[in-house]
Amino acid sequence: MLINNDLKTLDLTVGDVFSQNPRLKARNVSVFYGDNKAIDNVTIDIGNKEVISFIGPSGCGKSTFLRCFNRMNDTIDSCAVKGEITIDDENIYDKKIDVVPLRARIGMVFQKPNPFPKSIYDNVAYGPRIHGLSENKEHLDGIVEESLKRAGLWEEVIDRLDSPGTGLSGGQQQRLCIARAIAVSPEVILMDEPCSALDPIATAKIEELIHELGNDYSIVIVTHSMQQAARVSKKTAYFHLGKLIEVGRTKDIFTRPQHHQTEAYISGKIG
Amino acid sequence: MENTHISSSFDKDLNKLNDNLLKLGNTALDQFESCINNFGTQNLDEIKTVISNDKILDDLDDKVQKYGFEIIALRAPQAADLRRVIVALKIATIFERIGDYSRNISNRTKLLIELKYTDLPGVNIGKMGQKTQTMFEDVLDAYINEDDKLAVKIRNSDIKIDKMHTEYYLEIISHMQRKKNFAPTGAHLLFIAKNIERVADYITDVAEQIYFLVNGRALSDLRPKADKTSLKIPN
Repeated sequence: MLINNDLKTLDLTVGDVFSQNPRLKARNVSVFYGDNKAIDNVTIDIGNKEVISFIGPSGCGKSTFLRCFNRMNDTIDSCAVKGEITIDDENIYDKKIDVVPLRARIGMVFQKPNPFPKSIYDNVAYGPRIHGLSENKEHLDGIVEESLKRAGLWEEVIDRLDSPGTGLSGGQQQRLCIARAIAVSPEVILMDEPCSALDPIATAKIEELIHELGNDYSIVIVTHSMQQAARVSKKTAYFHLGKLIEVGRTKDIFTRPQHHQTEAYISGKIG
Repeated sequence: MENTHISSSFDKDLNKLNDNLLKLGNTALDQFESCINNFGTQNLDEIKTVISNDKILDDLDDKVQKYGFEIIALRAPQAADLRRVIVALKIATIFERIGDYSRNISNRTKLLIELKYTDLPGVNIGKMGQKTQTMFEDVLDAYINEDDKLAVKIRNSDIKIDKMHTEYYLEIISHMQRKKNFAPTGAHLLFIAKNIERVADYITDVAEQIYFLVNGRALSDLRPKADKTSLKIPN
């Protein structure tokens, strides 16, 4: 389903960049830091309720590209984004778009857990409050409980909702951040190396959570762990030097990649 | 085998796996070649050597299984590396099984010598063995050179062995019907011929694994077969 006939990126990327049921569409996206081109003409769809991993060597642009989806790159003065990114066919870089509600629709979880210096309850209630999503205290309590349950944290914090979020373990803090992201009913969740600061048990819990959340949300995860990409995502996209080299079903990418650069990277032949 | 991983110790592990697999393959080939030669020469010492050497194949197979298992556990191989390890584990088991058939042929050849039956039917079982041996040599070359075209050719050539086996089977049965005291010898000859035919089948399995190693997908079309011994009632 081409929207342009002159998508130059199709000459470069191996595999099917399009989704039958896209939620996010990126078309000919390039990102510049000053004169430096960090992302070069990338086209890809993120499907509805699809978990997709972005992998590639350090500096390949995968995190930069991820941050385009909720305009986090706007916070960097020298950064310029060219091309088009839409959510449900609405251009997110349109001047009329307010980034605050956009970032509620497209939530983000970062590498290092970053709970607010507030109670566990207030961390989750923060988003619904500023976006006016709760009708009353009872409703807000319900949102907080539901979000913590969906993040797999409720049973562990039920007796200490008033304790500071920063007092939780690293893995619990990350799940708190996920609860905070889903409290505002996002459509897409972006995750930038969400487990790189966690031990294997906390990582397994987050991965299980990603697996469950994938039933309801589109999830884009940037990871350096290829095993993690293999475990959690249905699709995988490989980036190299700012270019999208290959996209495909994860089980194909990790067993018989089509592009030699993908093969070299996942086999540990380039880094 | 290309050595290009950033981690040189990963290359060493893969090479160790590959070296032992090739050693296993070449030893299995030697065993098979000897058992076919010994069928003709009836050299009892050589026959005993083949029987006792089977342990070498078992030990090499154990090594390949151990190294492959360790690579999967410790290196988490991907793509072509993953295929190489999985294929090595499968092929090693096949080579070890071919060794079992060579030992079985040797045991039966030993019994044939003891039975002292001189009036054997005219079909040349050595010819069938030598053709299978050539397939075996070619499949090792195909593995070393990752030659998927040769692998497909080997796989499709199995039909010749099947035809020879069917022909030989019918001839021995006919001989058994004519000469009553030939039955014990005939039974062993049938098993020997069947064992050779099975070795050729195993070689086609190796060829199919080589195709998968190179291409990342299985050979889709059905292999041509012509072994009719389970379908034909001899006249």
